[in-house]
Amino acid sequence: MDEDGTTGNSPAAETFDPDLIHAIFKLVWRRRVGKGGGGNEDIDVEPAPETSRRNRSTTANANALKVSCELLRIFVTEAIQRSAFIAEAEDGSVFEPTHLERVLPQLLLDF
Amino acid sequence: MAMDPDPDLDLDMDMDMETLADAALAGDSGGEAERYEAAEAEADILRDRFRLAVISIATAEGSKAGMTVADPVVACIADLAFKSAEQLAKDAELFAQHAGRKSVRMDDVILTAHRNEHLMGLSRTFSQELKGKEPASERKRKKSSKKYERVIEV
Repeated sequence: MDEDGTTGNSPAAETFDPDLIHAIFKLVWRRRVGKGGGGNEDIDVEPAPETSRRNRSTTANANALKVSCELLRIFVTEAIQRSAFIAEAEDGSVFEPTHLERVLPQLLLDF
Repeated sequence: MAMDPDPDLDLDMDMDMETLADAALAGDSGGEAERYEAAEAEADILRDRFRLAVISIATAEGSKAGMTVADPVVACIADLAFKSAEQLAKDAELFAQHAGRKSVRMDDVILTAHRNEHLMGLSRTFSQELKGKEPASERKRKKSSKKYERVIEV
């Protein structure tokens, strides 16, 4: 494995932290368990999947998280690139909200 | 609305997250309301961290195009991306459950992009690269493990 001794080893692209994405996912799944079960006064919404009573909160594969990070990164990148397309047509150098507004419908349909 | 990413905020958030997470998970004699509030606060922290990540990605991407990104625009993108992430989580979970699984796999995530062929292709390529990087032992476990083992034994 080659390790660049120089400090010029810049990453190709910035991306999300898989742990952050994982935390967000867990939050969504935990929330779902609470709502889907209805009354759960006695049953605690535990993070650790132990009981087999009900569908315990979902877990995620490590690779699945990486692919999710990639998808979300593409979302942000697409938003920026499409807005840049419009902004350049108007000879702008700063992104304005109006640029984003115009790409929004197609962006949301695509994702 | 000023949306300045404060570097100090990050440290506070880490501490708060632990405290709130503890409060949410450890014993709470209160009702669901308390837990709900704690979860909401945790969500806000995650949202802020997420927003910081989006800011760095968007700024890097913007500078590639030679443009600067205004704060309100980035905030919008961050909120939208967060909602996308939540939607992705729900969809992937549904797909996994539909397949009778409890854990979300790469294929489930790829499926969530089904509305956009191009996007699905991109994520599939990405996932194949990931699979390719996996050590041989991992692949042995996933694909036709029995056949492989027999070959080695004989």
